[in-house]
Order: sequence, then C-alpha cells, then structure tokens
Amino acid sequence: MKCRLIILEMFCLFASYALFAQAPDTAPAAPTTPSPAPTATAPANAATGDSKLLGKDLPFFNPGNEIVTWDGKNWNIADNRLFRARFEKYLNAPEQTSQDDIAYQKVIDQILEKLAPKKVNATTLDEAWALLPEASNYKSDAHLCDSLSDAVYASWLAKEEIQRLTKANETLDRQKNSIEWNMKMAVQNQELEKSPPKNPFAAAEWAKEQELKRTTRTQPYLERLADINARLLANRTKKEASELQTKIEFQALIVQFFLQRRFQHVIIANRFYRSIFGDGDTQLRVDDPMKNLLTQGSGLPATIGLLDSMANEAMRDVTEGIDAFNFLLDKEELASATQRLQEAFTIGEYLPAIRTLSRDKKRQALDFAQKSNQLISALEVKDYSLAENLVNELEKMAKDFDKSKPLAAIETAKTVSGMHLAKARTAAVSGDRATLETELKNAMEIWPRNPELAKVSGAIFEQTDIQQQALVDLDRLISQKNYRQIYEDRVRFIAAAALYPEKQEKLAAVLENMQLIESSIIRANEISKHGDYAGAWESVEKVFQQFPDDNKLNQVRADLTTQAADFVRSLRTAQDLEKKEQTGSSLAWYLKAQHLYPLSEFAKEGIARLVKNILPEEP
Amino acid sequence: MPRRASAKHHPTIWIFVVGLIVILGAGGYYLYCNVNDPFRTLQPLDVAVYLENSNSLRGNTYKIQASIQNSLAWSPNLGRLFSVAMESGEPLPLLVPAQFNQINLQKGQKFFFKIKISEKGILTVEDLKKS
Repeated sequence: MKCRLIILEMFCLFASYALFAQAPDTAPAAPTTPSPAPTATAPANAATGDSKLLGKDLPFFNPGNEIVTWDGKNWNIADNRLFRARFEKYLNAPEQTSQDDIAYQKVIDQILEKLAPKKVNATTLDEAWALLPEASNYKSDAHLCDSLSDAVYASWLAKEEIQRLTKANETLDRQKNSIEWNMKMAVQNQELEKSPPKNPFAAAEWAKEQELKRTTRTQPYLERLADINARLLANRTKKEASELQTKIEFQALIVQFFLQRRFQHVIIANRFYRSIFGDGDTQLRVDDPMKNLLTQGSGLPATIGLLDSMANEAMRDVTEGIDAFNFLLDKEELASATQRLQEAFTIGEYLPAIRTLSRDKKRQALDFAQKSNQLISALEVKDYSLAENLVNELEKMAKDFDKSKPLAAIETAKTVSGMHLAKARTAAVSGDRATLETELKNAMEIWPRNPELAKVSGAIFEQTDIQQQALVDLDRLISQKNYRQIYEDRVRFIAAAALYPEKQEKLAAVLENMQLIESSIIRANEISKHGDYAGAWESVEKVFQQFPDDNKLNQVRADLTTQAADFVRSLRTAQDLEKKEQTGSSLAWYLKAQHLYPLSEFAKEGIARLVKNILPEEP
Repeated sequence: MPRRASAKHHPTIWIFVVGLIVILGAGGYYLYCNVNDPFRTLQPLDVAVYLENSNSLRGNTYKIQASIQNSLAWSPNLGRLFSVAMESGEPLPLLVPAQFNQINLQKGQKFFFKIKISEKGILTVEDLKKS
C-alpha cells in the first residue's frame, strides 16, 4: 500500500511538474547506481497505447535506489533540481498559522464534519455545500472548493433532469397502457357485431372484410403506441447518459484533486459524490492507464473508495513523517530528519501538518538541505574539493550524516585522477605527447577542478614552452653560426634537444667544434705565457681558418697577431705572393718566417709546397 | 840666451802622416775588396725589390755574397735548392743547378754567387766563387 502510495505521489508530482513544461533530466544523477530495467516491473501496458499528456509510459518507482522511470527517462526523487528548489522554497516559507489559515482549516473541518458518513443527511449536505464558497475565499484553497461546489450543483441539476425524465416516462407509460386497452376493446367490439356466412366463398370474403375493418380500427392505436415506445426509450437513454456523464465529470474532479495532492478535497468530494449518487455505483470511469496506476499490484477494482482510502493514508503518512521529523530534530539527527520532512513534503505539500510546521524548525533542516544539495551539485559537476569540504561540514552538522558514499566517490575520483596525472608526467618526461594529452584529458574529465591538474599541466606546458623556445634558439644560432652562444648555453640546449635526435646530432657537432676552439685558445694562452707568441698565434690560426666567425677566437688571434707581428707579416706576405705565383719572393718570405719561428708549420708547409713546385720530383 | 828653435818634428807633419796612412789603408781596403770580388762588374741584387716582386726581375743577372744555411731540396738533373743568408741576415732561396754538383756546398760556407732571376723568380746560380 505504501509503495503504491509513493508511486501515485510521484505520478502526481510529475503531473504537476509537467504543467511547468519542465523537461526531465536525460540521465540519472551521478552518485546513483544504474536503475533496473523498467520494463521488467513496469505496468504491462505501459509501453503500449497512444501518446498521452504524460508520455507513453507510466512512472515507475524503484524504492531500492529512489529512481523513478517515466517515459524513458530516469529521475532520482531526491536529486531532482525542480524538486530541490521547491523543497528549499518551502523550508524558507513561514508557517501558515495566520488567522486566515486557521479560519480556512476550520471551514474545511466543518465541511468534513457535516459530510461525515454517520451524520450526513439532506440538511447537512446543503450546509456543507453552502460552506464551499466560503472556503474558496481563502487563498490557501486556490478556488478548488469553487470547482467542487460547481460540480455538486451540476450534479444536482443533472439529478433533477433525471427525475423529470422519470416522471415523463411514467406519464408515457400510463398513456401506453390506455392506448393498449383501447385497441384491445376496439378489436373485441368488432368480433361481437355478426357471425360469418355459411357459404365457404362468402365466408372467405367476409373474413377478408373483417380483417380490413380490424386493421383500419387498430392502425391509429398502433402508430400512437410506437411513438410512445420510442419516446420512452429515448428518455431512458437520455436519463442513463446524463447520469453517467455527471458521474464521470465528478470523478474526474476527484481524480484531479488526488493528482494535485489535495487530499482533504478528495475526501470532501468523495463524500459529496456518495451522497449525490447513492445508487452504490462507485466504479471509477477513467482511462485504463489511470486505473492501472491505482490498482497496480493489488488486483482490487478502481473505485471512488480506493481514492478515499489512499487520500486518508497519505494524510496519516504525512502526519507520521512530521512527527518523525520533530523527534529526529530533537536528537540532532538532521540527515534523517530532513529526509523524513522531504518525504512528507513530497506526498502532502498542501496538508495542514506540512503547512503549519514552524519556520524555525524548517530553518534547521534548510541549512542541511542546502549543503546536501550543494554536495549533490558539487558531485555532479565533479568539484571534489568543494564536495569534500561540504562532507566535513555536513558531518559536523548532523550526527547521522552518512559520509561513506560521497567520500567513496570523492576518494575514487581523486585517486584515479592522480593516477592519470602521474602517467601524464611520465609521458611528458619521455616525450610521448599523444599519451600526455590523453592522460591529461582523462584526468580533467574525472576531476576538472583538481588543483594538481593546473599545477602539473602548467609545469608540463611551461617546460614544453622552455624546451620549444630553446630549440628555436638553437636553430637560430646554428643558422647564424653563433656557436659561441650555443656553447655558453650548452646545458640548456643539451636538455632541450634530448628528445630530438636530429637536433641532438647538430648540437653535438657544434659543441665538438667549440671544444676544438676552446682547446686552441687554452693552448695558445699556455704557449704565449712562455713568450712564444708566434707559436701561440699559429696554434690559434689553424683553428681560426675553420671557424672564422668565433669572436673569442678572433680576439685572441688579433692579440697574438700584434705580439708576433714580424712573423705573421712574413707568413701572410708569403701566402699572398704564393697566390700571385711569385714563387721566388714567396719562398723567401716563407724562409724569413721560418727564420723568425723555426717550428712554424705554416712556413714549413709553404716551403714544402714551393720547393716541390721548383724542383718537382722526378719519376 | 836666445830661444832655441825646436829640433823635433813639426805637428803638421804628424797630421799629414796620419792622413796618408788612412788614405793608404782605405785605398788598400778598396783594392782588397775589388780585387777579391770575382763578379765586381755585376750589379748586386736589390733584396728589397726581390722580396717585393721577384717576377719583375726575371732574366736579370746579379751578384750576391751569401752563406749557405740549409739544403731545401735536391734533384740530380735540376740541381740543389738552398737557403742562403745574405750579409744582412736576410734568408733567400738559391737554386744551384746540376752543373755545380761537383762543388761541395756546406752550411756556413760563404760564397760569391753570380745569379740570374729565372722563371718563377728563382735565384739561379750561374757561377760561384768561395769567398
């Protein structure tokens, strides 16, 4: 019974929400487990039938996970945004204990009292009906009592029409009896007039004549009788149709009250119905889906009494829920208290027990509900830092708050995100850009606001930027043949080119050359320390010819050129003259250079070249 | 007592004698030099010009006095190539053709060379005398 009640209430809720044209979520809330296949336990005919106001399927509630399946969509009754907003609005609203609210409830109570099964009679019925417009004047009623009053009045008019038709039929019955008797008399009088002749031929002619006379006499009666019978039948049909139409309209109003969760109105309307239509016919004449919803699982017929009992049960359930809320609130078990109030609110949003609950008590639940809703939102958007803070706050607020589920979700997300970040770091180090991007994306999808994500990705991209910049600089310096700059920033370039074999190769060649230059400079400095400037110059000059663009080498060479001026001038003059094919002069200068620096390799080589030119080797 | 005239030589005589000795010495040296130089009719080589542009002197004949420094190369048919040091210490290359192969040329020996600036501006010995 309770489960059926919840299903109905959820149906009512969705019916009311549908009026706002609120589209349902397309997926269940994040923390919930997958809902079972609705077709397994949903109403058998749920998937069939034409498109209806509320979709093709009836709502199906799974109490195991609080998921409602409706029209192919899954809803979590606690996680629904519209419901949460409505519940928070209620928690913020003041208690309805104004004079108007009290007066309204008093009128409703009076109506119920006058319609009580053992007290109702024609007088109390009229009195109760008279109170309906008064109740309708209050804002809380939303003019529902006006609708009920109109329905009762319409029913009464229909009943009067039925009575009028009944009386008309009685009159017609009497007329019918009279005509039947007159016709009977007319036929009998004819038989008494004379006897038939004895001649057979004459007798036959006489019989024909008599038959013609009888027909002529009874014809008007027959026609009149047929007319009366037709009118009787039409009246009976009209009477039955009128009664049925009135009942259907009244039942529709009761069902509407039920769907709106106006359970007091359901009971009032039900009692009016029973009084107006006292023929014992309480069968609900509504569409099959609605009938199935009301009778699901029970096998009981759908009657007005069923609605009445369910409304009573709902009211009792709400009262119990409020009692439980008050008790749990006293025990500082806010989680359960809020849940009980939420359940009671879902079922009996308009019942006095809900409406008169003090705002102070509701405020206590409000803070918890807001934070709970924030927690749900935080989990939905995967903001696990905020979710963790909220879990801690909720734990402090409510002794009975069950943090295991949210914490499990949070910790799992954090762990998995951390694993992806670790993989991303490894991929970054190994230069696997595809894996790096994939792992960063995975980590971001699991925990988009992970602070570590920003740090790690920032560091990786910063590192990548530095690396890319270094590689760009390396290419530029190589194209400029500025090997000195590369050599001085060699640590940076070695690190940047570590992942690029092609660049690594170029860098290695540059550094090798620079090593040669540096070695020659060191060697020249050592030689010059001993006063052998020509030797030092020659040491530098050899490398200079390979790397004429190195500034440092140039500078050292220039200094040594000054210090070994005669030798250098001799050698250069020799080289110039050699190019001009002044063999004699050139050789003389080479000899002079050798005279100045006997160990000169340049001079030795020059002399060897020219000697070979002067005295070629003979075969 | 009357001053007695000096019986010693007059100083003018002494000056004349010294001057004569110097003149005789210089003349003797000049004669020594010219008589000792076997190629005294030849023009000495202008080393500075040679160092600047040896090709411009090709075909000319000069004399030089130099000492042998190093043997640079040797060819049985073409001769020997030496580096010689001029009196100023300037080293010059000198090709001694094969016709002088019978003459021993050793380091430190001083010679008078009659030379000709041959093709490629090489100093080629045409004659030589030990000095």
